[in-house]
Amino acid sequence: MNSLIKLELTRALRNRKFLFFSVIYPSVIFLLVSNQTGTVDGTGLSIAKYVMVSMASFGALTAVLMGNSERIAKERENGWVRQLRLTTLPGRGYVLAKTASAAVVSLPSIVVVFVVAAVLKDVRLEAWQWLALTGAIWAGSLVFAALGVAIGYLASGDAVRPITMIVYFGLSILGGLWFPSTTFPTWLQDIAKWLPTHAYAALGQAIEQSRSPHAKDITLLVVYFALFAGGAAWLYRKDTLKA
Amino acid sequence: MTTTAATTSTPVVGFDQVSKSYGEVRAVDGLSLALHPGETVALLGPNGAGKSTTLDLLLGLKHADSGTVSVFGTSPREAIVAGRVGAMLQSGGLMDEVTVGELVKLACDLHPKPYKVSDVIARAGIAQIADRKVNKLSGGQSQRVRFALATAGDSDLIVLDEPTTGMDVSARQAFWATMREQADQGRTVLFATHYLEEADAIADRVLVLHRGRLLADGTSAEIKAKAGARRVAFDLDGEIDEAPIRALPFLTSVDISGQTIRIQSTDADATVHALYGLGVYPRNLEVAGLGLEQAFVAITTAEEAKQS
Repeated sequence: MNSLIKLELTRALRNRKFLFFSVIYPSVIFLLVSNQTGTVDGTGLSIAKYVMVSMASFGALTAVLMGNSERIAKERENGWVRQLRLTTLPGRGYVLAKTASAAVVSLPSIVVVFVVAAVLKDVRLEAWQWLALTGAIWAGSLVFAALGVAIGYLASGDAVRPITMIVYFGLSILGGLWFPSTTFPTWLQDIAKWLPTHAYAALGQAIEQSRSPHAKDITLLVVYFALFAGGAAWLYRKDTLKA
Repeated sequence: MTTTAATTSTPVVGFDQVSKSYGEVRAVDGLSLALHPGETVALLGPNGAGKSTTLDLLLGLKHADSGTVSVFGTSPREAIVAGRVGAMLQSGGLMDEVTVGELVKLACDLHPKPYKVSDVIARAGIAQIADRKVNKLSGGQSQRVRFALATAGDSDLIVLDEPTTGMDVSARQAFWATMREQADQGRTVLFATHYLEEADAIADRVLVLHRGRLLADGTSAEIKAKAGARRVAFDLDGEIDEAPIRALPFLTSVDISGQTIRIQSTDADATVHALYGLGVYPRNLEVAGLGLEQAFVAITTAEEAKQS
């Protein structure tokens, strides 16, 4: 299986468009937005700090969601998944390799935003905070990796790209990764706070505020992970029986 | 019993009363067969005969509704995990955006008894495209890459579903030359094809599948014999008295159109002898062997006529 992970990774790192959107793009947005001074209402965090977490989360989300859903849908259709089933690779190996390679790409997309923020925008945090942020955002991205796999097994052909885009932009914007959700009208805030992306960003903000994350956010992420991973597993099994 | 007595060898592939339906359609219907070590077997049948389903069942990609499928005495999946089966699917896609060489290396890494990557590439005749991206290949080149994936290791059974689709004539010949080497090393080879000449030239056993059932099983010569071995054609002048012609010995079919009479006979010599005995003067007499293709058509149409 390691050789499949390696090859998936080689392929991801070779894809310039994908690397741009998952690694460079979040840092560019960070630089554009973090010029404003002041703090974000209700958090006590400077705009730069707040946006840094949002963009690191956004970059990780892009890395794990965008590539996989479309690839899985395509490879199910063109028969590569079938071909792999004729090898010694265990059934789950394909999905695990996809998730593992996405996780490897999502790490630089988090770290690059941090480095840009620290070097160019003078964002200062304790050492433990940097480590905890990296760990939390990286681990949290698994929720969306599972979602990407589920979409890849749910949608097919022409449908997969629009569905991925809607989910991706919907979760990014409504979850408050682009604009703080505190700027939303109240009714929208009530929806936003139940989204996995909102809980995801809240995790990082709590670390920046040097306090432990809300139990509600962690529970939300765990529940979403169970939901997405369970859905992906169910869809995977259905697909295997059909193929 | 002496020590040299044959031990009952496990068949390479065993189907026992296997059925598989999709909704109302019975794709495979009570199929039983056994393949033996070292055989090169062609699976022949018109579209929808159940060839691909049969291969999918054999490879464990689909599960039978009833009956059992065994490969080397174990389940298909166990045989694959043990590295005993190499397969090339008609619908087998490839991983995009990697090079041919990288993909072959992956196949070797995943095989329990792998060959050297360079050897696999050389044998499949893809050395000159090894650095090319998989998504930039022609149909015939893709087929060769699939073949390389199927032969990445020392498998005992090689399964090929319509392997030469998309290849031109010379590529097809080169492909079968490579395939013969595999068979000569004692491997069992099973291939589905709709090119009858391939079955005729390469297989030492032909299975004819029709509507999910095994219609014929034998050497291509035997299949031809089963369909009526020879074709006799001639013209007669004047009014033709049909009854005595239809009563000729060893006929399997008669077709009279205008002055031309076409006959299929299991013993053409006896038939022609009897024809002269009728006192007629046949012109343009031709006696020819049936191609496997005609034999195949004869067998399947006879079966359809029986069923309707």
